Amino acid sequence: MQPEKQPLWRSILYPVIAFALVISLWWGSVEYFQVPRYVMPSPGDVWAHIMSDYATLWQGFQVTFMEFLIGFVVGAFSGFFMAVLMDASKTIRGVLYPILIVSQAVPIIAISAALTIWLGFGLAPKLVIVALVVFFPVVVNVLDGLRSVDSDLLRLARSMGGNSWSIFRHVKMPATLTPLFSALKLSATFSVTGAVIAEWSASTSGGIGAYLMQANSRLNTSGTFAAIAYLAVLGLVAFLLVILVEYLVTPWRTKPVVPRWSTRFWQK
Amino acid sequence: MSETPQPKLKLTEVSRLFESNLALAPTSISINEGEFICVVGPSGCGKSTMFNIIAGVLQPSSGTVEVDGQDITGRAGQVGYMLQKDLLLPWRTVLDNICLGSILHGKASKKEREAGVELAERYGLGDFINHYPAALSGGMRQRVALMRTLAMHRDVLLLDEPFGALDSMTRMAMQQWLLSVWKAEKRTVVFVTHDIDEAIFLADRVVVMSPRPGRIRDILAVNLARPRGRDVYTAPEFLQLKDQIMTYVYDEKDSSDAA
Ligand SMILES: Nc1ncnc2c1ncn2[C@@H]1O[C@H](COP(=O)(O)OP(=O)(O)O)[C@@H](O)[C@H]1O
Ligand SMILES: [Mg+2]
Repeated sequence: MQPEKQPLWRSILYPVIAFALVISLWWGSVEYFQVPRYVMPSPGDVWAHIMSDYATLWQGFQVTFMEFLIGFVVGAFSGFFMAVLMDASKTIRGVLYPILIVSQAVPIIAISAALTIWLGFGLAPKLVIVALVVFFPVVVNVLDGLRSVDSDLLRLARSMGGNSWSIFRHVKMPATLTPLFSALKLSATFSVTGAVIAEWSASTSGGIGAYLMQANSRLNTSGTFAAIAYLAVLGLVAFLLVILVEYLVTPWRTKPVVPRWSTRFWQK
Repeated sequence: MSETPQPKLKLTEVSRLFESNLALAPTSISINEGEFICVVGPSGCGKSTMFNIIAGVLQPSSGTVEVDGQDITGRAGQVGYMLQKDLLLPWRTVLDNICLGSILHGKASKKEREAGVELAERYGLGDFINHYPAALSGGMRQRVALMRTLAMHRDVLLLDEPFGALDSMTRMAMQQWLLSVWKAEKRTVVFVTHDIDEAIFLADRVVVMSPRPGRIRDILAVNLARPRGRDVYTAPEFLQLKDQIMTYVYDEKDSSDAA
């Protein structure tokens, strides 16, 4: 279940080598084939652009990051609660499931256009889009986690005198963490895409998505690539953030012994 | 026998119907305080159904369950229950798993946790209280599961094939260990097993059950002196009991094959 262990220096060195390889290939071919700047800038050009427009890009990064962060948390929590509701009641599950499935068939960009009409050009429609991206996978995975708790375990917990709340809190809810985090990992990078799409529908936010759109419409290729680079970093940060939280919240998946910082650690 | 004391656990005409399937025909049995009872029988003869009813997690179709003369029919939390699967919570430490009963009732107090630590130490898992269950072997996990049951402080323990998933070496060690726990803790044990040797080795009385409908076929007293060593497996009384139980089991097989 756990990924194969490799020494730390390897897990750092290999990505660095891969990254360097891509950059040099890019740079080499741009120079060798004499590609015009407005078609494809070299990594040097992009770097120069980033340096010259550093403040705006950093500002944009923060805006898009906040859209991602807030939308992601809101989407994850509401998805979780929806799954709990659907697990608790057959009727709710029966009614909501088809709606959820159909809602997934609508392209996010279409929803985004409609949301701009209803919610305006501010933060709200972006948060809703990001939240929607996370919502569905979380509902599906958490619901699955809740329903696959061993019935013998539930019976045992009841035989020990647990009531439905304490059984939910101590037995069922923790069992959803593993499927919850696999949903979050899957949707982390895609919700950054969601934030970008939302910014395109209403590009007054000053985020990286809006920056990308403007640069692109002015045929400012270096600007476009600078925005792409920032988005790549943003996607990576989003993913790593989820991994970090998972690591902190589910220590039993990676460690044989409870960490000393945990309140669960028993000091003799 | 002179005056019979009040039984610790008493089933009176307890039955359970699933749709049209009589999983357990009306069954009565009295079990004395401190007794070690083993229940054997082929699968589907209603052993787990009977346990679920005693544990209060399944309503009987008829009959009553009493502990110390008190009607506990349909009430959970009155007896300790343990199953073949250890069912430890992977996200909780060994200590938290031992204290699960208190946790499910709100919170494990410092005193209850200290009692849990003491239990773990007494039975050889003192160095593992902060471990997650995934780090333990099957035998150790099953011991934690039993400690979780002991920590509930119930006089009656229902053990449903608790060693069924263990290899035979571990299983023998666990049987010895269980007997020592039983002796030290003075609880009343009802133990389901598929293994006839295991049943005779452990029990004061062996309850033999048959399927279709699930019912008690016979109850056999085991008069082998305790503590029992490995030599009891070859004692004449042991072999005689084994032969008798086998007859019941194969009898049943023949009649069902004919049907
Ligand atoms: N929840 C249930 N619903 C319907 N039938 C059940 C249920 N639990 C047990 N049974 C049936 O009751 C009978 C006895 O089962 P069980 O008590 O599990 O037997 P054992 O533990 O002796 O193997 C079986 O025929 C089984 O199919
Ligand atoms: Mg069974």
